[in-house]
Amino acid sequence: MHETSVTTRELTRRFGRFVAVDRVSIEVGSGEIFGFLGANGAGKTTLIRVLCGLLKPTTGEATVAGYDVYTQSERIKQNIGYMSQRFSLYEDLTVAENIEFYGGIYGLARTKLRQKEKEILKNFGLHRHADSLTAGLPFGFKQRLALGCAMLHEPPILFLDEPTSGVDPRARREFWDTIHETAGRGTTVLVTTHFMEEAEYCNRVLIMHVGRIIALDTPDALKSRFEKRTMQEVFLELVGKEIGETRTRGQHGEQGEKP
Amino acid sequence: MERRAGEDDRLYRNAGRKENVRTSRSRILSIAHKEFFHILRDFRTLIIVFLMPVVQLIMFGYALNLEIQRVDAAVIDFSRSTASRDLVERFEGSRFFRPFYFEGGVSQVGDLFKSRAARVALIIPSDFERQLLHASPVSLQVLIDASDSNAATLIRNYCNQVLVDYNASRGAQLPVPFDVRTAVLFNPNLKSSYFFVPGVIAMILVMISALLTSIAIAREKETGTMEQMLVSPVLPHEIILGKVLPYIALAFADAAVILFVGLLVFRVPFVGSAVLLVLLTTLYIITALSLGLMISTRVRTQQVAMMLALTVTLLPTILLSGLVFPIASMPAALQYVTYLVPARYYLLIVRGILLKGSLLGQLAAPALSLVAMSLVLLVVSVRRFSMNLER
Amino acid sequence: MRRIVHMTQKEFRQVFRDKPMVAIIFAVPIVQLFILAFAITTEVKHTKLMVVDYDRSTVSKDLVLAFVHTDRFDLAGHTTDLREVREGMRGWEVQMGLVIPAGFGADLVRGLKPQVQVVSDGVDGNSSGIATGYAHGILAGFGADYAAVQDSGAPPAGLSSVRMEERMWYNPDLSSQQFMVPGIVVVLLTILPMMLSAMSLVKEKEIGTMEQLSVTPLRKHQLLAGKLIPFLFLSYVELAIVTTVAVLIFRIPMNGSYMLLALLALLYLFATLGLGIFISTITRSQQQAMFVAWFFMVFMIMMSGFFIPIENMPPVLQKLTHLNTMRYFMSIIRDIFQKGSSLPFLLRDVVPLAAFGLTIFSVSVLAFRKRVG
Repeated sequence: MHETSVTTRELTRRFGRFVAVDRVSIEVGSGEIFGFLGANGAGKTTLIRVLCGLLKPTTGEATVAGYDVYTQSERIKQNIGYMSQRFSLYEDLTVAENIEFYGGIYGLARTKLRQKEKEILKNFGLHRHADSLTAGLPFGFKQRLALGCAMLHEPPILFLDEPTSGVDPRARREFWDTIHETAGRGTTVLVTTHFMEEAEYCNRVLIMHVGRIIALDTPDALKSRFEKRTMQEVFLELVGKEIGETRTRGQHGEQGEKP
Repeated sequence: MERRAGEDDRLYRNAGRKENVRTSRSRILSIAHKEFFHILRDFRTLIIVFLMPVVQLIMFGYALNLEIQRVDAAVIDFSRSTASRDLVERFEGSRFFRPFYFEGGVSQVGDLFKSRAARVALIIPSDFERQLLHASPVSLQVLIDASDSNAATLIRNYCNQVLVDYNASRGAQLPVPFDVRTAVLFNPNLKSSYFFVPGVIAMILVMISALLTSIAIAREKETGTMEQMLVSPVLPHEIILGKVLPYIALAFADAAVILFVGLLVFRVPFVGSAVLLVLLTTLYIITALSLGLMISTRVRTQQVAMMLALTVTLLPTILLSGLVFPIASMPAALQYVTYLVPARYYLLIVRGILLKGSLLGQLAAPALSLVAMSLVLLVVSVRRFSMNLER
Repeated sequence: MRRIVHMTQKEFRQVFRDKPMVAIIFAVPIVQLFILAFAITTEVKHTKLMVVDYDRSTVSKDLVLAFVHTDRFDLAGHTTDLREVREGMRGWEVQMGLVIPAGFGADLVRGLKPQVQVVSDGVDGNSSGIATGYAHGILAGFGADYAAVQDSGAPPAGLSSVRMEERMWYNPDLSSQQFMVPGIVVVLLTILPMMLSAMSLVKEKEIGTMEQLSVTPLRKHQLLAGKLIPFLFLSYVELAIVTTVAVLIFRIPMNGSYMLLALLALLYLFATLGLGIFISTITRSQQQAMFVAWFFMVFMIMMSGFFIPIENMPPVLQKLTHLNTMRYFMSIIRDIFQKGSSLPFLLRDVVPLAAFGLTIFSVSVLAFRKRVG
């Protein structure tokens, strides 16, 4: 399809005076697993919400699957899957009913829907729960179902916002296996996380701090550049430096010497 | 040695008890503090809680007037005589009717009623004047649109009154052999605001104390924060107290606002004792809170809590308490139901104290009923509440 | 189109899975209909009467009997101290006092026009006024009977009196239920579409599924249609149930066309569903939605002529009632039931109802679009 799935240039989103995303420029290629790293409030979720068309950008440019986020958000929605950090399926519907509903919303033909339903139930180990209410499922199962629903229509681009928070380590491992499989089939995956070891699974990692990009590279390149053994240490080094800089800038500011 | 250990134990326990009282108080206060912020943050609910009673006061105070105003009356005059015109003038002269001559026939009266051009038709027969002169009784046909039965009764009575006056003025009616003087106590101008200001207070107190609290507790259960509190060393009664205290404060504040508007804008008198009013209002709030607790122990989701609370608190308070509609006119079975509605008793209390200056002795029956109700409700709901917690 | 079908199917599944909700939709309205039909009465009966009889003659006893024989008044006691009437009122045991002066019977015989006093508790102004009216009626009747017996019934010669011969159209028994029950149908037909649709829309926001739906290709109009069609359907089921109960159990005569009623109900449902959407756009939680809906309900009911006649309101409030869609449907349903009015007679209500209904609906849909996007 497209060489690059997601492109942004100087993308900015403000909430009043607060700048949540500050002049972010990225290019994500097809089939890439692209990670967003950052502490809470770094702007990861806002960036993803802008790219999904949930929020309009304040300034800057962005295209998703070749469509412009300002004018073609309906086209974008056909081409993406989205899984939010909150569990957002219907708890009072059964697993099968949720799949049927979202399949219907994405306009899947009946036979296609049946086939996808079977596939998801099998691949995600949900077949025994098909007719039980979603409310009663363990959290890990709910997350798998949410991922399944987001991928029902086989979107070329998948946005996952903190998909593994609250999931036990084994389930997290399995979850990432699925993500790799999906990417292997050519799907672009954009994923936010605050688990540093998960960053290792990504092709490229973007580290954000107070809305700005402070690093963007492959995990290996980042580790060798900062001479660290893990992404955890890279992150602490980078963010620690940033906080230090912010502080000194703040002190200078008080003396009236604005940078 | 044995004895000493016992004393130590007792000392320790005493100190512990004091300690307990202190921590208990601080736990309750911290829950209350949290709940208070929930209320303040939710400004839409807050606006409604304060705005709704004022709007209702205005509606009830100004709009509720069941006496009907001038009624359009179609006159079909087959007589076309001086006597018939004289009679129509009588109707015109009364303050109840707005007569107009209608040229169509009797068969078209139905259309008049359907298009609501008239609510009553007066049909004067062609021999009206002749019969009157010949001293034989004449009948005036009065067709009334009775779709609103209450209005129809009033229209009939007004017609009758006009005719009685007409006959009397012509000397055709015997005068009543005695005079009737009417005195109205407590509300000489029969202002509806006197009646409704206390009523709105009773309603808003139930809304805050029963409705809001039951929803707040259901919300806590639904979001799982109730579980969070349970694993902390807070005791069930502390959770309940902490949750209801802010609502008690809110209820009093709202009642005070309504009373203030009532006294200032509607000039409702405050004849009785303020201390007694505060005392018995507290009793009523406790009853309503117990009702709210009772509901919250039976439901798990907010939506059901709301619907249940609406059906068992707010609707009965409006319909079955004597707030608008007199209880004595209801069917007997429904009258028994009204005994279960706390507002029924509180309305007697608040109207009695405000407007009549009733004393505690005169309000003993409703006050004791409230005490009994809240005791039963509290015991049952606290027991159910702790049972729910253990599950 | 298929998306709407899926949305509708999902909505139905959710409604019927929630057992208390099913009860609320189907059983509660019937209970409410019964309570409302019996509780809402503007009649005044069984006024507690205390008699202060200073005369204690045969005539005064007859007079008291004339009061007690009706169901308008119940005897609350006799006293010879006027202050007891006042104290009785303060304890809510007495609502009216009838004071018969000493020498009443003797004065009547001598034609001295003695004075009877009626003392009323004015706290409930309306009931008090009505009860006083009844008392005057009974006194006048008693006086006329007495005079007739004394003067052997002959009116002054040479003059005849005009008698009233009344006919009560549409409701000869003057049953207040015949007036109120169709009105209650309107009230019930407001709660379901307005409150429940608002709460169901807000619930999607609350649990986060609205966000999930926003990233799907589901368009706003498909979302709303899928949400509202089930409530429209359920409202019609409710209308059918409540109307059946009204006609079969309350024996409310239906003189008009059921088809016309169903057709015009659609206009009203558009307005109420529109309000439901509107409420969902200005609220964030189900609790708020319920409160705002309740607020709207109270306002609409009071300004609809449901139990407060609109003609009696001050002019400013009367003008305000024209903004109230319930007002129009209230007149329409009562006229169809009682008068069997056909469409041409109802146009004065149908036209504004249609105008308001469609305006509210389209404005709400537009407002909703903005909020989600």
